[in-house]
Amino acid sequence: MFPYAGCSWVRAANCRIRRRSRPLEAGPSRFTEPPVPDAAPTLLIAASRKRWARVSAPIAGSTAYACGAHNRPVDDEHTPFLAQSRELAFESGGLGYAVSLSLIALVTAVAAAVFRPGNLTNVGLLYLVPVMVAATRFGLRTGLITGLVSSLAYNFFFIPPLHTFIIDNPENIVTVLMLLGVAVVSSQLAARVREQARLAQRSAAESQALASFAQQLTGLRTRVELAMLPCVELGRLFETHAVLLVPGENGLAALAASPADAEPDRIAALAGLRAFEANQPTGLGSDTLAASKWSFWPIASGGRVHAVLGMARLDARTPVGPEQLPLLRTLLAQAGLAFERNALEDEMAMIAQLKERDRLRAALLSSISHDLRTPLTTVLGTLAEIRPASDEQARQLSETRREAERLHRFIANLLDMVRVESGALHPSAEPVDLAEAVAEAFHDLRRGLTSHRLHFDLPADLPLVLVDPRLLHHCLINLLENAAKFAPEGSAIAVWARRLPNGLGLSVLDEGVGIPVGDETRIFEMYARIEGSDRRGGTGLGLAIVKAFAEAMGLTVEATNRCDRPGACFTLRIPEGKLRAGQEVDA
Amino acid sequence: MSTPITLLVVDDEPAILRLLNTALSRAGYAVIEAGSAREALAAVAIDKPHAVLLDLGLPDRDGLELVPLIKSAGPAVVVVSARDATEQKVSALDLGADDYVTKPFDTEEVLARIRAALRHRLSSESEQALVCAGEVEIDLIARSVRKGGNEVHLTRKEYGLLAELAARPGKVLTHAQLLRAVWGPAHESDVEYLRVAARGIRRKLEEDPARPSLIRNEIGVGYRLVT
Repeated sequence: MFPYAGCSWVRAANCRIRRRSRPLEAGPSRFTEPPVPDAAPTLLIAASRKRWARVSAPIAGSTAYACGAHNRPVDDEHTPFLAQSRELAFESGGLGYAVSLSLIALVTAVAAAVFRPGNLTNVGLLYLVPVMVAATRFGLRTGLITGLVSSLAYNFFFIPPLHTFIIDNPENIVTVLMLLGVAVVSSQLAARVREQARLAQRSAAESQALASFAQQLTGLRTRVELAMLPCVELGRLFETHAVLLVPGENGLAALAASPADAEPDRIAALAGLRAFEANQPTGLGSDTLAASKWSFWPIASGGRVHAVLGMARLDARTPVGPEQLPLLRTLLAQAGLAFERNALEDEMAMIAQLKERDRLRAALLSSISHDLRTPLTTVLGTLAEIRPASDEQARQLSETRREAERLHRFIANLLDMVRVESGALHPSAEPVDLAEAVAEAFHDLRRGLTSHRLHFDLPADLPLVLVDPRLLHHCLINLLENAAKFAPEGSAIAVWARRLPNGLGLSVLDEGVGIPVGDETRIFEMYARIEGSDRRGGTGLGLAIVKAFAEAMGLTVEATNRCDRPGACFTLRIPEGKLRAGQEVDA
Repeated sequence: MSTPITLLVVDDEPAILRLLNTALSRAGYAVIEAGSAREALAAVAIDKPHAVLLDLGLPDRDGLELVPLIKSAGPAVVVVSARDATEQKVSALDLGADDYVTKPFDTEEVLARIRAALRHRLSSESEQALVCAGEVEIDLIARSVRKGGNEVHLTRKEYGLLAELAARPGKVLTHAQLLRAVWGPAHESDVEYLRVAARGIRRKLEEDPARPSLIRNEIGVGYRLVT
C-alpha cells in the first residue's frame, strides 16, 4: 500500500520535472520539493553527514533512489548509479530555512552592535551574506525567502522609521530589490554548477559502465556466457528484469534471463520476434506492440541481428527512459559486436572443419582415381605400342583398345558420381563457347563415334554460356555416348543449339528407338535401364551424371522423343541468366 | 645427330616407367628413370636431361613442388599425371611446367607434347619469324596471316592471340597467360574476351569450326596451336 502511494507521487514529481526541465536542460534542483506525506513511513528524511538532507524512497521493491543535492547513493553497494538520472530533486527543507534565519539573526545582531544607526549602505551589504549562502546552498526558493526576510529585517531594524515595515526613502527600496536580485542570480549560478557536476558524474559513471561491460564481453567465449552478461549487467544498470532471446529451431528461445525465472508472456514473445525480424525496438515504449509489458531491443551488428534483449519492470513502467537510451544503444552495440565475433569464430571453426573434410575427401578420391587409372594407363599405353602382325590381330587390338577406353570412361563416370554423391563437386563457372565444348567432346569420343554420322548445327552467333567447362564436357560426352549406344550404326547423331523463349537449348538427337512413353524422367535415375535396351550394355550412370552435373551448374536436362522421326532428343536448357552476349572486345 | 636428347621419366609405377621408356626410346630419345622425388632431383643435377616427364603422385613429395625446382635447373617439364582436376593443371602450368598430359595418355600425344616443349626450349633464344600450322602461315615479323597463300584479315586482338599461341607452337598457354599478354594484366580473368577472339580466329581460319584443327581448347585450362 505505502510503497505504491510513495511511487505514485514520486512518479508525478518525476514527470513534472521532466516536462519542465526539458527546454532548459536544467537540473532538478531548481524545483522545489513536492509535499512529503508525513504518513509515508517509507520515506526517510535523514540528516546525514554535515548539513545535507537526503530523501530516499524505496521503489520497485528493491532499490532506493538517492536524492538530494549531492546525489550520494544511499547504499553504494546496491543502488545502481543510473538511479541518479531518475532522482527527484528536493531542496533541503527546514534545515535550509533554519540556517538562513539563524544567519539573518546573526547579521542583524552584528549590524546592530557594530554599525552606528544610519550607516545603511554597509548594513545592506552585510545582509548579502545570508542571501548568498542560502541561494547557493539551498536553491532559489530558500534564497528568495532569505532575501525577503533579510530585506524585511533590514527594513524593520535599520531603515527609518525604525521598527516598522514602512520605507520612506526610495533608495532603500533599491536595496531590498538588490537583495532579492542577488538571491535569484546566485541560486541560478549554483544550480548550473550543480547540474554540470551531476552531468559530469553521470557521464563518468556511464563511461565506467561501458568500459567494464566491454572488458567483460571480451573475456567471454561461449554463447551462453555471452548471453548472460547483457542480461545481468543491463538488468543491474537499468534495474529491470532482462531476458535474452536468440533464434532457435522454433522461433526465438530464451538463452539467458535475469533473474533466472524472468519470462516474457505471449505478447512479449511476439514483440521480441518482431524486434528480431525488423531490427528495431518493439514492445513497451515503442511504436510496435506497445501493449506488451516488455521492451525489446535487437542486438545487432553490421545489419545482422544476433539476439534480442527484452527488459521489463515489475511496476510496468518503461524500462529505460529517453535520457538513458544513448547509453543503452552503446551497450547493445558492444554486445552486438561481441555476438558477431562469437558468430564469426563459430563460422571459422565450421569452415575449418568443412575444409578438413573436403581435404580428406579429395585425398581419398584422388588416390582411388590414381589407383584405378594407373593400371589402365599401362594397358592402353602397351596396346598402343603393340605392332599387330596380322589383320586379325589389328582388329583384336582395336577392339581391346576401344573396350579399355570404355572402361576408362566408366571409371571416370564412377568417380564423378562419387563426387556428386559426396558433395565434393565444386562447379566453377566461366564463359564457355558451346561450339568449342561440342568440338572437344567429339574430339575425346572420336574413336567411339566412327560408326555414326555427326551433324552439328550451332549458329555462329551463339551467346557464350556461363558454366563449369569440365562438367559441361562430361555432360556432352555422356549424352553423345548415350546416343551412340542406342542409335543404329550408320545413323546420324545431331547436336543442335536453339534459342528458347527464356534461354538456350543444346540438344543431342539420335535416330534410335526413342524413349518409352512415361520413362522421360525415370531415364535419368541412377542405374535406370529402359526395357529391351540393354543390348549394348551400359553403366546406367551416364544419364544420371548428366542430370546431376547439369543441376550442379544450374541447368536442367530433359528427354523427349523426336517429332520428325523415331529417336530420342536430350536437351540441356541453359537459363537466360547464364548467357553472355560475347561482344568482340578489340580496344 | 650427335648426342641424343636425354629425357628423365619420373614415376613411382614401374609399369608406366617401362611403358614410357619403350615408347620414348623408340622415338630416338635417351631415357633415364627415377622412382621418387629424391632420385629425380639427383638425376636432374647429374644427368642434366633436356626434358622431364613428371608424375605428380610421388611417394616422397608432391610432384607440384618439384616443378619449379626442376625448371630452375634448366630442363623442360611435361607433367604426366592421373590428376585431372583443372586446378591441378593450371597450378602446374603456373609453376612453370611446359605442358600437362593426363593418364591414361595417348603415347603419340606425349611425344607431341615433348616435341613442343623441347622446340620451345631450343628456340627460345631465336624466335621463329614464320610459323606454319597446316594451311595457315603466321608471319610474326610482318604481323600478317595467310591461309592457302591468301592474306586473311584478323582484328587486332585476334591477331594478338594467334601470335601469342604461334610464338610457342604446340604448347598449352593458360587463359591467364594469354589474357595477360594480349589484353593486359587488368583483364587476366576476362575469359569471355578470349572465347570471342578464339571464335573469330576459327571462323576465319578453320576449315570446319566444329572440328577445329588449328587451335585446340584445353578445357578450363587454355589454348594451344596445333602444328
